[in-house]
Amino acid sequence: MATPTAGARPDEVRRHNRTALLRRLHVDGPSTRASLAAELGLNRSTIKALVDGLAESGVVAERLPAQRTGAGRPSLLVLPQPQAAVVMAIDVRVEQVAMAMVGLGGDILGRHSWNLHRRTREPGEVITHIADSAKLLADELDVTAVGVGVSVPGVVRRADGMVHEAPNLHWTDVALGARLTAVLQAPVHVGNDAELGALAEHLRGAARGSSDVVYISADVGIGGGVISSGTPLRGAGGYVGELGHMVVRPGGRHCYCGCQGCWETEIGEAALCRALALPEDAPRGAVVAELRSLAADPSSVSHRLGEFTEWLALGLVTVVNMLGPELVVLGDLFTALPQVVVDRVRATVQQRSLVSRAVGGTRIVSSPLGRDAKLIGAAELAFEPVLGLV
Amino acid sequence: MSEPILELRGVNKSFGPVHVLHDIDFTVRAGEVTALVGDNGAGKSTLVKSIAGIHPIDSGEVVFDGKPVTINGPRDAAALGIEVVYQDLALCDNLDIVQNMFLGRERGKAGMLDETDMEQAARKTLTSLSVRTVKSVRTQVSSLSGGQRQTVAIAKAVLWNSKVVLLDEPTAALGVAQTRQVLDLVRRLAEQGLGVVLISHNMNDVFEVADRIACLYLGRMAAEVPTKDVTHGQVVELITAGRSGELGIARPESATI
Repeated sequence: MATPTAGARPDEVRRHNRTALLRRLHVDGPSTRASLAAELGLNRSTIKALVDGLAESGVVAERLPAQRTGAGRPSLLVLPQPQAAVVMAIDVRVEQVAMAMVGLGGDILGRHSWNLHRRTREPGEVITHIADSAKLLADELDVTAVGVGVSVPGVVRRADGMVHEAPNLHWTDVALGARLTAVLQAPVHVGNDAELGALAEHLRGAARGSSDVVYISADVGIGGGVISSGTPLRGAGGYVGELGHMVVRPGGRHCYCGCQGCWETEIGEAALCRALALPEDAPRGAVVAELRSLAADPSSVSHRLGEFTEWLALGLVTVVNMLGPELVVLGDLFTALPQVVVDRVRATVQQRSLVSRAVGGTRIVSSPLGRDAKLIGAAELAFEPVLGLV
Repeated sequence: MSEPILELRGVNKSFGPVHVLHDIDFTVRAGEVTALVGDNGAGKSTLVKSIAGIHPIDSGEVVFDGKPVTINGPRDAAALGIEVVYQDLALCDNLDIVQNMFLGRERGKAGMLDETDMEQAARKTLTSLSVRTVKSVRTQVSSLSGGQRQTVAIAKAVLWNSKVVLLDEPTAALGVAQTRQVLDLVRRLAEQGLGVVLISHNMNDVFEVADRIACLYLGRMAAEVPTKDVTHGQVVELITAGRSGELGIARPESATI
């Protein structure tokens, strides 16, 4: 990387432009040469040279747009080729592991998942199963993953993928990054699940074009990812994001983190099960089914989820006051919440939060990516270093 | 705890002198994958076909969504919201994905088909299941891989707002990698809140996706247990001997067809 005092050599400039163009195609999809030139602020002949170079190496393809607008010769549509660069995304959850091969442009080419039970939840078992499935997926699709992104519900050191604590998985100090790099023989990047969920929403979900976003997700526990001024907020070592462990109810239920009355104990999956009168270990589908049937009967929502809604709003008031997002995305299990709950939370937050009032009402929405958010985020984590090399 | 979406109580079924199902109790809960396992001839397919209305039951009670019902034919089952996906893919090769999904139930008015509406509905269904491996909903089924075909067959079940989906060995005809993709879809069905019954011979598959395991032994329900409470070995014992420790039927040696 050039220091500010040194000038950039032409080949560095070219590489920078090439990566910028590829990132634009990867995130926003097919685009005409003309619009690429306009958006990247580059000369049309520069774009032509870049696109020709990429087309020659098979990274993009060009074709005439199906719908013509305006007069004159139509600008060629540039399409990223999914097979040109494929990464593997792995989403380790408490109850299951999901994997996918994702091509350039964000297409999921193939996927697989399996449930975790007592013994299969141990790190060694999970890593072995990942290695087996990776080979199967690669063979079936006839692709080689050039990078691997992993999402883990725990406190992760970004530099080397060391999982310090993933309490719901019962993992402590697992060198996940190093161990997966050894078996998968590709660069492995490990990130916190909520942070990757936020990344996915920012690039491909509800938060496209928003620069200050908070993503709150409920799997078994509650996690939070923050995008601030367009970039992820990481904190020292990349450990930021345990929003679920802010104490909202002094003297409340005991949390495994050592505190009492964490937000997670009032709005996590277990709390939702309590509110719905399901056993706390009810399968995810049963919780979703119950929420769906509740959505069909709005009159009973406030009766059964009233307290839950109140706790969700209470925590969000603090989150919004503290981080000042323009948008809050509710992900994962929260996407199954009835719309009236989301509406009520939004109204409550606007009513009680100074910051929300000041910005004219913070938007609060359900994630359109649902269960896949963390998987997509993991893929983007793997793509980040790859785009400069393709 | 939520009520089971489908419950069978004391169901019996005979084909002539052969008593295939003996007093079967079986429950399907919304949002769960229930694996139905058993040796060849244990009655798995007969049980599924009884639920689907292909073989009406001789005696016993069927409760759907809390109400007692009688299922006398496939039409009754479909009307309740019970769909069946068979291993030999009931799809038409010469039609595309949309045509297959709406086969026999096409939408339209005044004698005209509403292709746009059907296409949108098909695409929406595939997206809701996060199926991103099928490029276009206008692809001919003949050009799809086995796994993709099974995906279409399963998506068809979702399109019709089914509440219960019965899958009779959906992966029997598939290779290892494609099997895994289909199992992934099976779990996502359950996560959408549907009740899913999966017949499978493969213990690995069963342990990967099922929330509960129901084991048939010579036409009797040997055990219905949560997956997390049992081991591979115990389930294999239940399949082959009808009993494993405290689990299973009291005197398997006296069980006869």
